[in-house]
Amino acid sequence: MKQRVLPSAVAALMLAGAAVLAAGPEQAVTFSADERAAILAHGPWPPPRHPDPSNRVSGNRDAISLGRRLFFDTRLSLDGRQSCATCHDPATAFADGKPRGIGRALVDRNAIALANLGLNRWFGWAGAADSLWAQSIHPIVDVKELGLTAEQLRDRLAAAPAIAAAYTHLFQAAVAHDAAERVLVNAAKALAAFQETIVTGRTPFDDFRDALERSDTRSMAHYPRPAQRGLAIFVGKGNCTACHFGPNFTSGEFEDVGVPHFAEQGRVDAGRHGGIAALRASPFNLLSPYSDNADKAAGVPTRHVEQQHRNWGEFRVPSLRNVARTAPYMHNGSLATLQDVVRHYSELNEERLHGHAGRRLLRPLRLTPQEAADLVAFLETLSGEISFGP
Amino acid sequence: MGIGAMTRGAGALVSLALSAGTIAHPAAACPTAEQGFRRLASPEAEIAYRWAPPALKAGQFFTAEVVTCRTRWGEAVHDIKIDAAMPAHGHGMNYRPSAVAIAPGHYRFTGLMLHMPGTWRITIDLLQGGRHTRLTHEVDLSP
Ligand code: HEC
Ligand code: HEC
Ligand SMILES: [Cu+2]
Repeated sequence: MKQRVLPSAVAALMLAGAAVLAAGPEQAVTFSADERAAILAHGPWPPPRHPDPSNRVSGNRDAISLGRRLFFDTRLSLDGRQSCATCHDPATAFADGKPRGIGRALVDRNAIALANLGLNRWFGWAGAADSLWAQSIHPIVDVKELGLTAEQLRDRLAAAPAIAAAYTHLFQAAVAHDAAERVLVNAAKALAAFQETIVTGRTPFDDFRDALERSDTRSMAHYPRPAQRGLAIFVGKGNCTACHFGPNFTSGEFEDVGVPHFAEQGRVDAGRHGGIAALRASPFNLLSPYSDNADKAAGVPTRHVEQQHRNWGEFRVPSLRNVARTAPYMHNGSLATLQDVVRHYSELNEERLHGHAGRRLLRPLRLTPQEAADLVAFLETLSGEISFGP
Repeated sequence: MGIGAMTRGAGALVSLALSAGTIAHPAAACPTAEQGFRRLASPEAEIAYRWAPPALKAGQFFTAEVVTCRTRWGEAVHDIKIDAAMPAHGHGMNYRPSAVAIAPGHYRFTGLMLHMPGTWRITIDLLQGGRHTRLTHEVDLSP
């Protein structure tokens, strides 16, 4: 009783059999039908974008303007010295280039480069938030990041006339008289509206993928040979697409690839296990009254997520779009370069893969230096221009 | 970890508190292929099922409808459970589905998601009296 589930376009390509790419007989890169299907599934790009049903100001121009203003505003930090942009700087792809974020203190994890956030199901390395606005609340009130209380935030916004006016216009309430927790949520919803506009453009890989779909060998040949060979490893023996699949190169879920997860000597980062606990305890999750999604359909993942023992040490599978611009890597920023990441997968310490699943899915790839360089060359073709509004 | 061990933790076991009149329906009442249903049968039981959206995709949530068409001795089903796992990787789903009975012998499951391409084994367990019947279905997801 087996059912093959393939998009019909892909099924048609399968009938055509394996494809030989470009001329140059000595180095022609070939893909099996399954590899071709996996490559096509990494697009098309850009994907359609939809407003967030849990955020009533999602997509609203005024909310985007207010959110942009708040994102760069140091009023949001206790000592007036930091903003969201301290750790998510547009000049460094909305990350900070540091292994771990530094706000009022050093945080446990690597600042995630903000882009294409409308595609996320979960936010943060452990998925402790189920919406972009809920994720945006955390740094405002975290003592290690911006360190405000909800009351302090309300007072500061109320004292800034332009912000207060924009708030009243958007949320039909005077910020000074709104409940502090409500102000926190609304500010986060405006921040979310802005962050949704941060998107990455088309990449050399996307042009190749579309040419492959059209069987346009002439255009396909523009894609560098090392990248083609690296792509063949990515979708082939590297098995990278088990986790990094689809247009955003991620399942959006959580896995353990054997990165040590000590936050500091003697203290473990529980990863997804702790993320689920935090999600459930959050007064701001999608099952809460703060969600604007009346029938709570957006809350299906939150309602059904199950905490399991294997979640210890699992972290979210990161998107690989723009990955060449977002070093250092992994949840704790422990790997400095893409070469280091590829070496990690090539040499994989099986002792560290405590999860049974990881152990069966991942094995040391033992890549040759040439193969490792090709895989890096492929990852470097995933960069596209970053744009953000309004 | 075997499939048995996995399903204990991850399945959706629901007590549907069906009324006494809920006897499994004869095969004739089974929804048809025209309605988008497929059949799954074993010597003990036969069900009809369909997914929404109809084509399963890795990483995408879906709902399942299950209709019990034939059960052993025609006995009522008082519990029904759906689960999925990747036998080659030894892991199950990240979510625990929930069920509602939308008509006698007709259930809808929410909260199913297969988070990785590859072969998944979907299991549907029917509980009747003290008996337990398992139907399995394999699905291959491309990335
Ligand atoms: C001190 C540095 C720091 C500051 C300041 C900061 N962040 Fe972050 N940000 C991080 C880190 C570290 C993570 C990863 C957090 C985790 O996994 O728990 C993160 C994650 C995120 C994510 C999740 C992205 C994803 O793909 O899951 C969003 C959204 C985000 N931050 C928005 C904001 C906003 C909005 C602000 C300002 C209100 C802000 N951040 C301030 C360091 C910072
Ligand atoms: C079992 C699922 C899985 C497989 C297979 C997998 N990855 Fe990953 N990948 C992850 C997870 C999870 C992380 C984050 C791990 C962490 O931070 O602890 C990650 C991180 C990365 C990063 C760092 C990105 C960043 O922003 O920090 C890169 C690059 C990467 N993987 C590339 C690859 C390549 C290339 C392959 C194939 C050789 C591969 N991955 C195979 C799950 C996987
Ligand atoms: Cu798997």
